[in-house]
Amino acid sequence: MCKGISILKARIRQELFEEYELERRVYERSPGSELELHFMYTDKPSVCLPVEIDGQLVIMEWGNRQSRESKLPRTGWCRSDSLKAGKWRWLRPEPCVVPADMGHDKGVWFPINEGIRGIMVRDEQQQPHVYMLTADASVYYQNMTRHERMPVLVDQVI
Amino acid sequence: MIGHVDADCFYVSAERVRHRHLRDWPVGVLGNHGACIIAKSYEMKAAGVTTGMPIWEAIPICPDGVYVKRDFRWYEVLSRKMLGVVKLASSRVEYYSVDESFFTASATAAVDDAADLQRAILSDVGVPVSVGIAPTKTLAKLISDSVKPFGYGAVVTRRDRQRLLEGLPVTEVTGIARRSAAKLAQHGITTCEQLAAADRAFVRWLLTKTGEELWWELNGTPVKPITTTRPEHKFVSRGGSIGRASRDRGRVTGFVVRNTERLIEALDHYGFACEQLTLELLFRNAPARAQRVSLHGGRYEPEVLRQAALWLLPRVWRPDSAQVNYMHVIAGRLTRRGQRQRSLFEAPVAKLSAVAAVQADINKLIGRFALRSGSTLPLTDVHSDPANSYDICDIHGKSCF
Repeated sequence: MCKGISILKARIRQELFEEYELERRVYERSPGSELELHFMYTDKPSVCLPVEIDGQLVIMEWGNRQSRESKLPRTGWCRSDSLKAGKWRWLRPEPCVVPADMGHDKGVWFPINEGIRGIMVRDEQQQPHVYMLTADASVYYQNMTRHERMPVLVDQVI
Repeated sequence: MIGHVDADCFYVSAERVRHRHLRDWPVGVLGNHGACIIAKSYEMKAAGVTTGMPIWEAIPICPDGVYVKRDFRWYEVLSRKMLGVVKLASSRVEYYSVDESFFTASATAAVDDAADLQRAILSDVGVPVSVGIAPTKTLAKLISDSVKPFGYGAVVTRRDRQRLLEGLPVTEVTGIARRSAAKLAQHGITTCEQLAAADRAFVRWLLTKTGEELWWELNGTPVKPITTTRPEHKFVSRGGSIGRASRDRGRVTGFVVRNTERLIEALDHYGFACEQLTLELLFRNAPARAQRVSLHGGRYEPEVLRQAALWLLPRVWRPDSAQVNYMHVIAGRLTRRGQRQRSLFEAPVAKLSAVAAVQADINKLIGRFALRSGSTLPLTDVHSDPANSYDICDIHGKSCF
């Protein structure tokens, strides 16, 4: 599973920085290089992702990592086959895209052209949560990351 | 004078053209199966990552590295664009490899010309290159290698040449590999300077005509001309790694047929028939095996070559324990199709040729390998990735690999 993404700082609106305290996510990969923002599933105290929905870029909580009380599945990913099988229908999922320039899986950073497909669902308080869609990994992706699942990328094959 | 243009870490630079944010980041390009690094940026090299290193060894020493899937279609686009810029600067250009070319340069203002060309390629293509200008191809290549990255230089005087060759290991010369270097070392020759100063007849005795040519070239006398058309093939080969080593007969058969179909395409492209077909299997845990078959009269029909390759497979197969990891399907004794001496016993293939023509037409319309032999069914994973349908050897016209 892709456990983190990186997005170029220049793609994020300034208002979002203040609203979601994004400054602490800024990362400089090498001196003088373009700045990025990292969103990792291991982040503390909360996990979130940038999401494009209805033409807007917003920040949403990534799945449900810690709330035992919530009815939402306690994961950050949604298998595309289970989505197709209707197992998420009761949550009324809406398609969305997680914009990203890089994905991170088992220590491997790999480029992403546009983004990762996801679904947005709402919890009991009507707060939006995003789940990353995953599929069986291609042989190439498996060799690269040694992982059997991969994110569903927008118009990109790895 | 002869110029040599060599792109700096070309595959990485090509990725940086379309993903600008990769500039200054440590970047590695992964090979056909996603396991090994085939090219790396200078930043990744500085971290200790080497070409050919498996990704799982690279990650601990370069955790911030970004690993990119190779895309030979894109590399060809930029390669040809680069070639176009060189052709604007020179009337005679040799497309040497995907990231290198030789060209005729003027004897005057050699350094200025090199700088101009470097600027033009960077601004028109976006790829940084190094340029060397010298009286011979060998010296020009040595210069461009020595000024990397993003440098240029010229060997004009005898003193320039001496400075370049001083202390430079002989293995830096294209054409002197490990075996030749070992032979030279036995006679105390380890640097280019020593090789250039050695007795010419001795070098010819030791390294044959090829060695003597290099001797002339190192001494500033051009013997290797710029060739604007690719030299005629002696062999055409397709193959390579099959990814995870396997002794699954169906999977190996699939790869044999896939590589034969790739070979057939190449023979069609060049207009060759072949009188010999060789299948070589390389095993992970046993010595390689190769076997060849004669195809009287020179053949090129897909079904004939496919059947010949499948006939060879059981003859090179090690069924008990050995796992195949590489293979090569090689067409030899090539003749132009219009000039081949047809056999008296050639079986009629009109029906098969018609089928092959339909296959070629469909693939031209729908996409390469869209219609292919049923024997390749175990390779669904390979064919489902569009990047696998185009490889470095599909970039035609290069005089080297």
